[in-house]
Amino acid sequence: MAKTILIVEDDTFLQGLEATKLKKEGYDIQVASDSKEAFKIIDSKTKIDMILLDLLLPDVDGFMILEKIRQEKALLTIPVIVFSNLSEEKDIKRATKLGISEFLVKSNFTLDELAKKVKDLIGA
Amino acid sequence: MDKDAKIKKLTSENERLIKLCSVKSDMVSISAHQIRTALSALKWIIKMFLDGDLGKLNAEQENLMKKAYEGNDRAIGIVSELLLANKTENVTEKKYNFGEVDLIELIDNTVFDFSGEASAKGIEVIFLKPEKKLLSIQADKEKMRVVLQNLLENAIKYSNSHDKVFVTLRENDGLVEISIKDTGVGISEEGKKKIFEKFYRDPEAQKKEPVGSGIGLFTTKKIIEDHGGKIWFESSESKGTTFLFTIPIHRKQ
Repeated sequence: MAKTILIVEDDTFLQGLEATKLKKEGYDIQVASDSKEAFKIIDSKTKIDMILLDLLLPDVDGFMILEKIRQEKALLTIPVIVFSNLSEEKDIKRATKLGISEFLVKSNFTLDELAKKVKDLIGA
Repeated sequence: MDKDAKIKKLTSENERLIKLCSVKSDMVSISAHQIRTALSALKWIIKMFLDGDLGKLNAEQENLMKKAYEGNDRAIGIVSELLLANKTENVTEKKYNFGEVDLIELIDNTVFDFSGEASAKGIEVIFLKPEKKLLSIQADKEKMRVVLQNLLENAIKYSNSHDKVFVTLRENDGLVEISIKDTGVGISEEGKKKIFEKFYRDPEAQKKEPVGSGIGLFTTKKIIEDHGGKIWFESSESKGTTFLFTIPIHRKQ
């Protein structure tokens, strides 16, 4: 059974590229453009194996989503890759403290490299 | 205008300028992140073309796409430099937060932070630790980290593949002395006079690495001097550079 990734990304163009690439790698994809959509999917009890999380979102920032996820018992250990164009040490530290598997700066990675990181983390 | 009125006017003007500076800094940061997002999309699309995901390219198309990819990566580099310059400018404006700093641990961590970048270029960074344990120094840990980051980043950036970068630390007469030695491009004769000037970039460095803000060494010098230390270098063109700096172990009040 294919693993499911929730992509939280407000830029629909980037969201589409990320989703296409990861679908091609054999993953099932759920997408959310803001926190409301993200929590709608999470609350629907859809099985999520990993979250790919942008930090700059239109409603709340990704850190708040991360904080909320880590407060939910069922989601406490879900792997999260932060995929953002923020790159300051304070952002990396803050996200790391909240419990993430990777902090990737979008402009430094190709989609192939992203797919490899995902595969290393949750398998094919 | 009497003295008190002048001080009041200057204080208020200063506060206005600090606010303005902060707004400017936020604007640079927000714009840079938006530009980065657009460049990320371009990077991914060009890579899809290059990988043949969107159909096979002919030789000319592939060549042009490679150039576009490299150009885009240069633009990403410029945006990163802009963000770094924006951050570094803020660093020099902020007040210092002095405390006990274990330099061996700080250097170890900073060398580790650069291990990915160094190994990608086939460069080995070696920290030659002192034989006996050093006393902690009184310094601002985050500012000292910026100093080490700037010097290590330069040493890696301007070294050639498979070179080694050596970091040493020793204690002498109430001072700690740190050196960062590379065998890279070296500093030109002109650069030796201007290397610590704000926005100056050595022509040799520009040949090797076109992207750079010219603010790193300026900031580094300022932080070291604000700690009561000194920085200098020894360099030969095409043979490499050693940057050395000292920091007093105990801070003079």
